[in-house]
Amino acid sequence: MIRVEGLTKNFGKFKAVEDLSFEVKSGEVFGLLGPNGAGKTTTLRMLATLLIPTTGTATIAGFDIAKDSEQLRRNIGVVNGGMGLYDRQTGTEILTYFGKLYSMSKQDIKKRIAVLDELLQLGDTLYRRAGDFSTGMKQKIVIARAVLHDPPVIFFDEATSGLDVMARRAVLDFVTKYPTEGRAVIYSTHVMSEVDELCHRAAIIYQGKMIAVDTIDGLRQQTNAPSLEQAFFKLVERSQADTDSRTEVLV
Amino acid sequence: MSSLRPRLIGLVAQQQIISVVRDRRTLFSAIVLPFLILPLMMLGLPLLMGGLFEREAETVSAIAVVGKANMPAELIVLIEANKVVLTEVEDPYALVEAGDYLAALEIPAGFSDLLSQEGEGPSLKLYSKPTSMRSDLISGKLQQAINSYEQEIVAERLAAAGLDRDVLKPLKIERIDASSEAEKNSGMLAWLIPFFMIMWTYTGGQMAAIDATAGEKERGTLEALLVSPVRRSEAVVGKFLATLTFGLSSAIMAILGYFVGGAIMSGVLIRRMGDDAVEIVSMMSGSLSLNWQTALMLILTSLLIAGFIAAILLSIAMFARNYKQAQSYIAPLTFLIIIPAMALQFAEFFTFGNAIYAVPILNALLLIDAIIKGNATVIATIITWVSLIIFTGLLLMFAHSNFKRETVLFRT
Repeated sequence: MIRVEGLTKNFGKFKAVEDLSFEVKSGEVFGLLGPNGAGKTTTLRMLATLLIPTTGTATIAGFDIAKDSEQLRRNIGVVNGGMGLYDRQTGTEILTYFGKLYSMSKQDIKKRIAVLDELLQLGDTLYRRAGDFSTGMKQKIVIARAVLHDPPVIFFDEATSGLDVMARRAVLDFVTKYPTEGRAVIYSTHVMSEVDELCHRAAIIYQGKMIAVDTIDGLRQQTNAPSLEQAFFKLVERSQADTDSRTEVLV
Repeated sequence: MSSLRPRLIGLVAQQQIISVVRDRRTLFSAIVLPFLILPLMMLGLPLLMGGLFEREAETVSAIAVVGKANMPAELIVLIEANKVVLTEVEDPYALVEAGDYLAALEIPAGFSDLLSQEGEGPSLKLYSKPTSMRSDLISGKLQQAINSYEQEIVAERLAAAGLDRDVLKPLKIERIDASSEAEKNSGMLAWLIPFFMIMWTYTGGQMAAIDATAGEKERGTLEALLVSPVRRSEAVVGKFLATLTFGLSSAIMAILGYFVGGAIMSGVLIRRMGDDAVEIVSMMSGSLSLNWQTALMLILTSLLIAGFIAAILLSIAMFARNYKQAQSYIAPLTFLIIIPAMALQFAEFFTFGNAIYAVPILNALLLIDAIIKGNATVIATIITWVSLIIFTGLLLMFAHSNFKRETVLFRT
């Protein structure tokens, strides 16, 4: 469903993402795990056609990020922690607006809102203006907006950042409950427990590079670590040691 | 730009308009305020000033005088008829300077004798403060009384010499107003309509432009829009149309307010202030004498200049990270608009070639002024329209290219 090959993004001299390659199959929740500034958001922005890669390519649901960007955008949904809503519009108005942008009929929008209402417990967020929402309510509508057109690929980018414990749980429950059949999800976060709970496989990104990719158990086994968090630190240390030794050789 | 889909442009514009319309403060400053501000100014200022002058005229003022005993009785009568009381003092200059008296008069010794002699007459001294409106008003009253007295003396002397008063007026000038009907009727409209068109499009459009660009970034809604199937070009045009709608609405409301203000002013002021108000009303209000062709020219020019202003606002606001920054980016634009608009009042003192009509803003100001006065030329009209279309197109292309730049979009 998602194929990424040699994806690189430079901002001037700064290499934000370097030679990233991975695949995500249909039915899979794939984690992008890394500290803040590792390049996760830049990677997802390239996949969502918001940023143009310096080199490399990617295809999503059969569409190339450079050549078929418009078709590709019809097949993805994006949820990120910083996303907001139009404060002076109700949940229903916001969802209807986006539904229309995706060329959905009024009837389809209505049906889909009903499905998502049940799944996300949207309740009165549908009828109240977004300016009055709590962060949790806001994030529910952000998720509903991202999946309203039923895309086969969904990106979650730090989707729980800034949320309280209840709202965070609602996001995690959604990712768990949302049917994955025929769909692929990339879940990007710096929170290990979320990857541990939600993802089938994960890539660990550090300083713009992918330092490991495996199943969650696989990552633990590679490092003989009892938890994903410990596995993460061991992998980061190993990557740092490799970089240092290469630098020494060069010097 | 890639091809544009009107349905998606309409959706973006509609969403943007709803978002701004539901903000009461913006709605008030973009729609209600432009409608109210002129009637309030047109009615309030003359009423306030008229009331103040009326009160001043009714008040009995004390005037300092040196040498009251030297004054002819006729002059005293003429001065005191203007609700003035003459008080004898010693140092008129110091008293007027200190503000104890608003004006003072100094009559030389032997004034009446000097007046009856041949040759140059006696000299009076009138003390006042020209920088003070009240002092100026009182000294004006004194001046008027002295002039009347002078006229009486002249009339007496002419009669004594067996001459008619008309001997002093060997020529008569008859002034004939050669203005066209449109010029006669336009009043202040010729200057105000272009000024409002530009000023209020700018004022009303700026909140919509900021909301559509920096506002979307600050709220975090821009990314959601950009990952939808809407093309960047469609998003830019949709936001441009929303800005244009708000800008034009403000300008139209301001012009409506002007007409309403004019109608109220002629009703209220003339009833209250009588004939004195007729001149003020005719100067401040005006009417348009347009046929369908000139009306169409006026509408089209207004639409094009509003489009140009909306495109500038959008292009600049796009660079800002948030509302505050966008407002500080847009604020200096006011000078770009106000200075040519103010200069328009003195436009007839300059000679312009047709090239001036290629300069945006200035061209629309001059052309709207000419349309209202009924003397717009075909070449000036064509140059203005083409120039505005080209510059608006270039600005929209600039906005579109910036809407694709990562450094502009993700500047947070």
